[in-house]
Amino acid sequence: MGDAPRSTVRFRGRPLSLPRGATLVQALVRGRLPILQRSIRYHRPRAPSCGTGACSQCLVRVNGRPNVRACLYRPATDDVIRTENAWPSPEFDLFGALDAVFPRGLDTVHGFRRPAVFAPLYHRVIRRLAGFGRMADTPGPTPPPGRTVPTDALVVGAGPSGRAAAQHLASAGRSTVLVDRGSTGDPLPGVTAYDTTTVVFLPPPLSGGERPFRAIAVRDGGEALRLAARTVVVATGGYDGPLLFPGNDRPGVMTAEGALAFTPPGGDPPFRRALLVGGGPRAAELLDAAGAHIEAVVAPTQIAPTVVGRASALGIPLYPRTLLLAAKGRHRLRSVLLRRRGEGAPFSLEVDAVVLAHRRLPQPQLFFQAGARMAWRSAGGAYFPVLTDGATSVPGLFACGTAVGHPDRADAAASGVAAADAALGRTGAPAGGPTLVPDGPPHELEGYYRELLDGARRRGKWVLCPCEDVLLREVETASRGGYRGIEVIKRFTGIGTGLCQGRYCLPDALLLLAILEGRPPSDVGYITQRPPVVPVPLGALAELPDAPEAA
Amino acid sequence: MNRPARGRYRVAIVGGGVVGLFTAYHLARAGAGPIVVVDRGFLSSGASGRNGGGVRQQWETAATVRLARESVAAWRRFGREFGFNIWFRPGGYLFLAGTRDELGRLAEVHRVVAGEGLPAELLDRDGVARHADGLSLDGVVGGTFLRSDGTLYPFPVLWGLSETLRSLGVELLYGVEATGLRLEDGRVTGLATAAGPIEAAAVVNAAGGWSAEFTRRAGLVAFNEARRHEILATEPLKPFLDPMVVRLSDGLYFSQTMRGEIVGGLTVPHPPGTAGGMSSSPEFLVRMARALTGLLPRVRGLGILRAWSGYYDENPDGLPSIGEDPRRPGLFHANGFGGHGFMLAPASTRRVAQAVLGEPTDLDPAQFHPGRFLDAHRAAPAEGLTLG
Repeated sequence: MGDAPRSTVRFRGRPLSLPRGATLVQALVRGRLPILQRSIRYHRPRAPSCGTGACSQCLVRVNGRPNVRACLYRPATDDVIRTENAWPSPEFDLFGALDAVFPRGLDTVHGFRRPAVFAPLYHRVIRRLAGFGRMADTPGPTPPPGRTVPTDALVVGAGPSGRAAAQHLASAGRSTVLVDRGSTGDPLPGVTAYDTTTVVFLPPPLSGGERPFRAIAVRDGGEALRLAARTVVVATGGYDGPLLFPGNDRPGVMTAEGALAFTPPGGDPPFRRALLVGGGPRAAELLDAAGAHIEAVVAPTQIAPTVVGRASALGIPLYPRTLLLAAKGRHRLRSVLLRRRGEGAPFSLEVDAVVLAHRRLPQPQLFFQAGARMAWRSAGGAYFPVLTDGATSVPGLFACGTAVGHPDRADAAASGVAAADAALGRTGAPAGGPTLVPDGPPHELEGYYRELLDGARRRGKWVLCPCEDVLLREVETASRGGYRGIEVIKRFTGIGTGLCQGRYCLPDALLLLAILEGRPPSDVGYITQRPPVVPVPLGALAELPDAPEAA
Repeated sequence: MNRPARGRYRVAIVGGGVVGLFTAYHLARAGAGPIVVVDRGFLSSGASGRNGGGVRQQWETAATVRLARESVAAWRRFGREFGFNIWFRPGGYLFLAGTRDELGRLAEVHRVVAGEGLPAELLDRDGVARHADGLSLDGVVGGTFLRSDGTLYPFPVLWGLSETLRSLGVELLYGVEATGLRLEDGRVTGLATAAGPIEAAAVVNAAGGWSAEFTRRAGLVAFNEARRHEILATEPLKPFLDPMVVRLSDGLYFSQTMRGEIVGGLTVPHPPGTAGGMSSSPEFLVRMARALTGLLPRVRGLGILRAWSGYYDENPDGLPSIGEDPRRPGLFHANGFGGHGFMLAPASTRRVAQAVLGEPTDLDPAQFHPGRFLDAHRAAPAEGLTLG
């Protein structure tokens, strides 16, 4: 990447040269991730983690605009980039003392009531601590005018299943729009593709009209689209799920997606010796991508032969059925504490990163928004749409790929074709033979967490919801106090109300509440999936034209 | 399903939101006898868990100003009394007028509020600018401001009330739907519920958005109706906005919460009733985005984090129904608050409890009595400042 064209920006007051087209995080990776952020309540140090713009750990201020995701943002020459919510810097933040002073956390539900004369002071201090960035310096540029895009078929997500579905629909003569929040890949004949375009809202279809679906999408650069479609195929794929352990929010803990996204093109990964968590296909992928920098592989349960083979070839030790007891280090990660499940003494490994590749979760938001019937599948530990040959319970809404539980690429493509066939009204078409996620025994992490929480000496903060800095302790206290069900726990503790919309706390919270309440996760309920799917700028939506009457 | 622990109660309350719970609290404190609260959802599932947390004392009718002032005093005491911090923050309410006519209306509000002894300010454009930084004053001619108005965090109100009520021996049955009244000789003897019959000498309809439905289930014509109102929250920012801002022309309102989010809404007409559910609409998001970026241009790049909706329970005259239904002795109303049930709950429900206990209240029947809508020729003041 040495000869590629470069841009120069001002980063924290100093010039920074970076390859054009690289994300800010990629430009800042020097064998480790930059600490760009402090957390919202305890000002714990945070580094980029999810790599998808969903989490709250890489927000920076760009040209006077707050809350820009450094993992997605590709700087332009002369950009002025600052960090926020930390003084004097994210590495050394004076407010970070709060974290040490309140090892058991702050109780803002009961506390700060006395003496009453201090109320205005408490309000000022708590308000100052809350929030990530400061208000924008200026309104900024007016986003491009929004527009309505009519189409026969809309395919959301350009992974293997979405592309297969789009191709199939276009070859049947349907006008087809394919959108993806990243790249839609190579052009497909007859398919209109929109890169870096996120569908943020898919309301239930209008009754009547030629194009009952009116999805709202926002493009990188702020253009909003109203996608008016006859049929919609949702192929939003999945994401790498969270794992709860003390220190799970330390700089250096990242998802597999993050590890891949933070690695500069042709460069080294954002770690030197990482612990890889997971024993399935995602872990195998990471071994292929960054095997030279993986110190060990641990898995909550078994490790698949493909992973064993790859790791053994690289001489990487394997720890199946192992508890991740803690990630240690004052700021950055220095070591992890592990223990074989069932027995044995804890042992530690020196690592500078933990890469989470143990769990692939579906992105279900659009199904919930559109009103599709969903079912809990315990083996996936998640909700999936109820499907009949690729069709959801909402007329005109179809689904395929990881989002509905097709685990591997070949399956995914076949499921895309099946969904397209269903959308074309070709009933009885073969569904492609994929195996959906079964319902049955509890999710493997339920037993894992039971064991982890049984034996754990609770020291330090277990941050269940990193966006809002909500601790496991708060959820346990609320649960013991008689507050039952995820919707009430959400309102009591604030979990699931942060920037990631619950992506990185809800899956674990469901399993943990199931344990605490002594009932299956499906009885704990689910947080209503509210629009938008990801935060969408007010200015972009403001530029959308009024909805045309049923077109 | 939760089931009642006893067969007979003094009072059965339909609706376990802030109005129902506060009514139960006043009754329990007065030693009314066994009380049960039934609610079709979970604690915080209705408007009590869906509102923007605004608390104001600026109204067109003096009676409402008095209820509001008494309620503000109760919100200030709440933490000491109930053990939960509701973060009541008197950042003020700033009403905005866009025309001379609207400013005339606000001047009348100002006269009523000042007449009740509250230091409200009538503002010109510059005065508006002093109270909220960063507003675009195009299309603003003036406004009113009252510093002691403010915002609170609704959820801990519910936790504090429910925990206190349980310790006072009040039964709270969530997930139990009230299906109708039980009657004997036209008088209420109890409640029919999905969990079986409940005997009670008095039934209070405090079902918020579902109260019109319950009135109809009781075999009576309802004059109130549920209207879905939408609301959204943005990404959290450091504090920059102190007051709740309300614009008369379109019902735009917003404030910045303790957590740093801008929370606000705007009136988008939806058909009445609860059949449509509590979802969000693209129309709302777009119109709200336009209104907010127009009035506060620096939020243009700020992300909408989530949107949701809830029901306003609206009476034709903008005032709530408090008291016994003349058509059905034993049925008491505590509804029709028009989206302001939360802020007015502490004081209003004290009157509800007085009515249930057969004590006189200080409310003008022409303004608050549930029977007022039965008189087609009535001429009573209406509350028109129902936005925000």
